[in-house]
Amino acid sequence: MYAKFPDGAARRTDPAAAAEVLYDAVIVGGGIAGAIVASRLGEAGKRVLILEAGPAEDLTLRGYEAYLDRFYSAISKDNQAPYPVVANAPMPRGTDARRIFPGAPDASAYIVQNGPFATDTTYTRVLGGTTMHWEAKTLRMLPEDFRMRTLYGEGADWPLGYEDLAPYYTEAEREIGVSADVEDQAYLGITFDEGYVFPMKGLPLSYLDRMVAGDIDGMPVELDGEKRELRVRPFPQGRNGIPNPAYDGGKGYVPRGAVSTYQVEVGGRCQGNNNCVPICPVQAKYNAGKTLAAALRTGRVDLVAQAVAHKVHVDERTGRVTEIEYRRYDRPDSPGFTTMRARGRLFVLAANAVENPRLMLASGLRSSSGLMGRNFMDHAYLLAWALLPEVAGTFRGTNCTGGITDLRGGRFRRRQAAFSVDIHNDGWGWARGAPMTDLIDLVDAGGRYGESLRQGLVDRVSRQLQLAFMVEVPADPSNRVTVDPAITDSLGNMRPILTYDIPEYTMRGVAYARQLSKRIFARLGAEDHTAYDPAFWGYAVHTGEGYEIRGGNHLAGTHVMGRDPSTSVVNADQRCWDHENLYLVGGGSMPTVGTSNVTLTVAALCLRSVRVMLAQLASETAPIHLTSHGAARGRSPEVAQ
Amino acid sequence: MTDQSFEEFLHLSVDLTAFEETELLGTGLAHQYLAKVRAACGGEVVSALLDAHRAARADAADGVGGHDPAVLDRALRHRIFSDDRLGPVARNVIKLWYAGMWYGLPPEWTDCYGARTAAETATVTAASYQEGLLWPAIGANPPGAKAPGYGSWAQPPRIDDRYLRGGAK
Repeated sequence: MYAKFPDGAARRTDPAAAAEVLYDAVIVGGGIAGAIVASRLGEAGKRVLILEAGPAEDLTLRGYEAYLDRFYSAISKDNQAPYPVVANAPMPRGTDARRIFPGAPDASAYIVQNGPFATDTTYTRVLGGTTMHWEAKTLRMLPEDFRMRTLYGEGADWPLGYEDLAPYYTEAEREIGVSADVEDQAYLGITFDEGYVFPMKGLPLSYLDRMVAGDIDGMPVELDGEKRELRVRPFPQGRNGIPNPAYDGGKGYVPRGAVSTYQVEVGGRCQGNNNCVPICPVQAKYNAGKTLAAALRTGRVDLVAQAVAHKVHVDERTGRVTEIEYRRYDRPDSPGFTTMRARGRLFVLAANAVENPRLMLASGLRSSSGLMGRNFMDHAYLLAWALLPEVAGTFRGTNCTGGITDLRGGRFRRRQAAFSVDIHNDGWGWARGAPMTDLIDLVDAGGRYGESLRQGLVDRVSRQLQLAFMVEVPADPSNRVTVDPAITDSLGNMRPILTYDIPEYTMRGVAYARQLSKRIFARLGAEDHTAYDPAFWGYAVHTGEGYEIRGGNHLAGTHVMGRDPSTSVVNADQRCWDHENLYLVGGGSMPTVGTSNVTLTVAALCLRSVRVMLAQLASETAPIHLTSHGAARGRSPEVAQ
Repeated sequence: MTDQSFEEFLHLSVDLTAFEETELLGTGLAHQYLAKVRAACGGEVVSALLDAHRAARADAADGVGGHDPAVLDRALRHRIFSDDRLGPVARNVIKLWYAGMWYGLPPEWTDCYGARTAAETATVTAASYQEGLLWPAIGANPPGAKAPGYGSWAQPPRIDDRYLRGGAK
């Protein structure tokens, strides 16, 4: 079944006319968080406006193919390669990262990096957001991830627990369309409802995964006095597989294929393109366009694109948000814009954990806790790479089908960070640019051509094993997003300034990860080729050893949720303590990032918040007074209570 | 572009890539690749490269239509790969076929032999990435194209046995 995008929906809303409407909710950001909130509110009969910073045409197959064509033609095939660069809504790119020297922030790219650690973390500012390029691993968080302070004295406790979020995880797994088998995913305290099955059956492990499993399954590890055995386990994936007929009490599941304005049969099942990041060519991988299409089909959701939120206006007496002022640029390639405003009863910032606090801080809204923008988190990735003794046929499958998740939890988290380990089906691509770098090296330095080149490629590329250790980063108020009125983009919006360092707790996990990788390689009889370059922009030294640390694009923590307004920005419903009609949703609300890629949890949190938004809309039913205003003048209308 | 130089470019490409003529023609890009090399380096360099290759094949001819691989290898190394002007171009032709990309030649080359256009790294067409010979050489599809199908990744790779036995580290 294709995801029907209503013809003309991306352009049917006139921004000037929209300025005269008092929406039930105004949402900033057309990624997965905004799309989920919009679709659920729209389905409940509410009028919604989505402001999208990037340019947006209808999500057509033709438009998607333009992304693909840009990817095919790009010299650098990094995770933003398919997506257009728009100066008016700039986005970070992995290739931006530069080593930072003390006292010299790097302002050469969109995110100003204040250091001391430089990160290549990215997000995508196009319709559909970062789910356009995400890899679509959909791990639930562990129950213990919600109680880190109580259990391990590290990080923070959430104001809600796994059991509170579990029903929303189930709903998020339906929305995204997750392929996995419960018997593989129930570990370290993760539980499922009686009789639950995922919408689709798990994707098979790759030949490479199974080669690794042959030696690693049963490998004993002792850590902080706890013994455990490792095993290679399939990851749950937000991409279409074989529908499970037992889903939903035997009703089954119909996968959602490509988003298009007309009937098209593609994307019903993963085809093994090995290109989840940066773009699935057939849309078997979920992207938020699928949810946006459903939202727009309700007829109650309006979308204005090329609309970059500039300022959140607040009634100083009540603290309520009155309007969002945005700059609507006329053309992607020129700086001309019109100031517009959007008015609503509720406001939802769903931009991401960098853009949400950036907008709030640019609006002078620091949160009475002082924590707006603080506690920035991501995952710290450590890569280790080796050559297997036999040809494994690397470079086939989805980017990653299996890994080692046994060290995601345990008592050792008192001392050091936990991690999840990916076995990369794309070899040393991330670490060393394989296979192109191997080709160039064999030809230019190795003097290979003809048969000896073909032999060399099989020997060097098809035996590659890369392990990616995704190490948790605890909240630290010093790691933060700030703004400076003097540092703006071409539309005059303040750019995010990131101050980030990798905590010692994380580095202890990193050091242990490297040690474990050596044991794994030894057990496999693999040649360890890992070498960390001191000139690398993300080089970090811990107890005399240096490591290359990379960003994970798993942005979190910049408007943390909590029970106490003095130590958190939002409550468990992601509603701002300071502004009762403002929700800051997404990874920014997470007090810990654990060892799961954040999107599934972001989706679950948004599904949970939608209930509260609907209840709030129902309880605030007093008539609303509107005064007439032109699009670009005047203050906001008063909302009568 | 003459038919003869195209034929010779194909012969050269067969020796450089170890893919057969039908496989090279099957990419649909052979003409564009020859044109790309000409546009980057100039016609004179291409002619010299094809001449040198013809001479190398002549060195190795066994008189009955075939050639001695060891002699051909030595002739290619001596006449082409070790040549300051032709070596970098020949290596770029290999990379062009394998990656679908023209890798910019270094300033040392363009300073000596003119042809500034040779210095620019560029993809030839969107299709050239997809037709890179690197991918069939490792039994894989170019990421993002020519999908092998659901679950195919669980099977052993389709790599010719002769490369699996080699196993030289």
